[in-house]
Amino acid sequence: MDSNDPMLLLSSRIGQIGDLGLDLLWRFLHIIVTLCHIVSGIFEAIQSYAISLGLIQKYSSIDIEKLRCLAVVLDIEVARDVAKVVELLQWLKTIGVKQVGLFDSQGLLKKSKDMILEMVPGSMLLQETGEKDISPDRKGIAIEFISSSDNKEAVVKAANILLQRHLKASHPEKDEGDNVFTESHLNEALRVVGENVHVPDLMLVYGPVRSHLGFPAWRLRYTEIVHMGSLKYMRYGSLLKAIHKFTGVRQNYGKSFLF
Amino acid sequence: MTVMRRFIFKVLCVGPIPNHISFIMDGNRRFAKKHNLQDLDAGHRAGFVSVTHVLQYCQEIEVPYVTLYAFGHDNFRREPEEVKCVMDLMLEKIELTIDQAISGNLNKLKVIFIGDLNMLNERLKAAAQRLMEVTEENKGLMVVVCVAYSTSHEIVHAIRESCVRKCGDGDSPQVLEVSDIEECMYTSIVPDPALVIRTGGRDRLSNFMTWQTSRSLLHTTAALWPELGLWHLVWAILKFQRMQNYLQKKQKLD
Repeated sequence: MDSNDPMLLLSSRIGQIGDLGLDLLWRFLHIIVTLCHIVSGIFEAIQSYAISLGLIQKYSSIDIEKLRCLAVVLDIEVARDVAKVVELLQWLKTIGVKQVGLFDSQGLLKKSKDMILEMVPGSMLLQETGEKDISPDRKGIAIEFISSSDNKEAVVKAANILLQRHLKASHPEKDEGDNVFTESHLNEALRVVGENVHVPDLMLVYGPVRSHLGFPAWRLRYTEIVHMGSLKYMRYGSLLKAIHKFTGVRQNYGKSFLF
Repeated sequence: MTVMRRFIFKVLCVGPIPNHISFIMDGNRRFAKKHNLQDLDAGHRAGFVSVTHVLQYCQEIEVPYVTLYAFGHDNFRREPEEVKCVMDLMLEKIELTIDQAISGNLNKLKVIFIGDLNMLNERLKAAAQRLMEVTEENKGLMVVVCVAYSTSHEIVHAIRESCVRKCGDGDSPQVLEVSDIEECMYTSIVPDPALVIRTGGRDRLSNFMTWQTSRSLLHTTAALWPELGLWHLVWAILKFQRMQNYLQKKQKLD
C-alpha cells in the first residue's frame, strides 16, 4: 500500500498538469477565435464606411419594394438606448423601409412608443394605418412594437379561442378537431386577440449574439435573420449591406429540400 | 486522425458543451450540382454520409441531444419524383440502421422520429417505428429526426392535442396554459436547443423550431451539408462557448 502512494501522487500530479495544459490550450483557442472576430470586425467596419461613402457601386441602389416587412430585434440592454433606436428608425426611413416591427423581449420599447413615434418624423403605429399591406406610395414608416407577450402567450390566448369553439361543437369528446384546428384558424384567432400575423421578410438582430430572443414564433417561418452586432456601434453601411443582400435572396418556401 | 480528433475534442470539452444541437441540413442538391453528380439522390446520399460523421463527433464530444431537420412539412410541395426519391433513400438508410442496431453496433444511440408521420408512406412509417423500438432502451446520444415537420404544423398539432385532452379531462378548468401546449409538442421529449447550425449559407430557420429557439445561438455556415466537417462543428461550439455567459443570463431572466 505504501509503495502505491507515491505512484498515486505522481499520477495525480500528472493529471493536474495535463488538465492545466488542456485549459491553457482551450484559452489559447479562444484567443484565436477572438482575434478572428476582431479582424473580421475591422474589415466589416472598413467596408461599411466605404458603402456609406458610396464607394461600392452595387450598394447604391436597393430594390426596397422586395422588403415589405422588416423586423428589428433588440437585446434588452440596447433597447434602453432609445436615442439609438430612434436613429436606426430614421436610417430605415431614409432607405425607404415602410414597415418595421421593433421587438425586445421585456417590452421596454412598447413603454417608450409614444416618445419614439414623436421623435421619428413621419412615423405612425402600424395598427393605425388600417391597411393590410403598406402601399408603396405611402410616405413615412409604420412601426409595430412587439414583445414576448406577443409570442407564446398570444398563441395560448388564440388557442383558448379555438378551445371554446371546439367545446361548442356538438360532441367535442368524439371530435378530433380537424374542422377547428388548422393553420388558418389559428391565424384568424391570433388576429382576434389583436396580433399581427404578417411574416417579416428580414430580421435584423442588434445584440451580442445571433438569436431571435423570443420573437413571435408563429411569424418567423422563412424570415432571413441577420446579426448586426451592437446597436451602440451600428453603422449605416452595414444596414444598407444587410438589406441589399436580402433583396438578392431567392426564397424557395419549402420547395428545396432541407436534407 | 482519430487521435488528433480526440485531442481536439478533449481541449474543446474544457469549456461548456451545448446540451442540445440542432442541425438544419441544407445544401445536398447544390452539392450534387457542384460536383456534377447526375443521380437524383446523389446529393442526399452524400448528405447521409455527413450525418454519420456528425453524429459520431457529437457522441465523442458527449452532446446529449441532437436534432436533425431531415424533411420539412413544406417539402412535400416538391416534384413527386423528387419526394419519392428522398423517401426511398430514407427507407433504405433506416433499414440499414435497423440492421446495425439489431447486430449491436448502435448501443449508444437512441433514435426518435418526430413530425407528421402520417404523411409518410406505410413502409417508411413502419421502418421508422421499428428503428425507434430497437433503439428505445439505448442510453447515450438521443437523435431526434424531424420528418414532415414544421413549427407551424407542430403548434397547430399541439393546440389540437391539448384541446382534445382538456375536453376529455372534465376535472380541470377549460383553459389552456403554455405548459399544456408545450407538453403536446413533438419536441417535448428534448430540451430546447442551445445551438442551431444551418449549413448552406442561408440565414433563415425555414419553419424549424422557431418556438424552441428563443435562447439558442443561431449559427450559419457557408459549407453545404455534405461538406460539413470537424472544424465547422468545432468553430460553432467555440462560438457557443464565447456566448455562454450571455445565453445563460438570458435564460435566467425568463
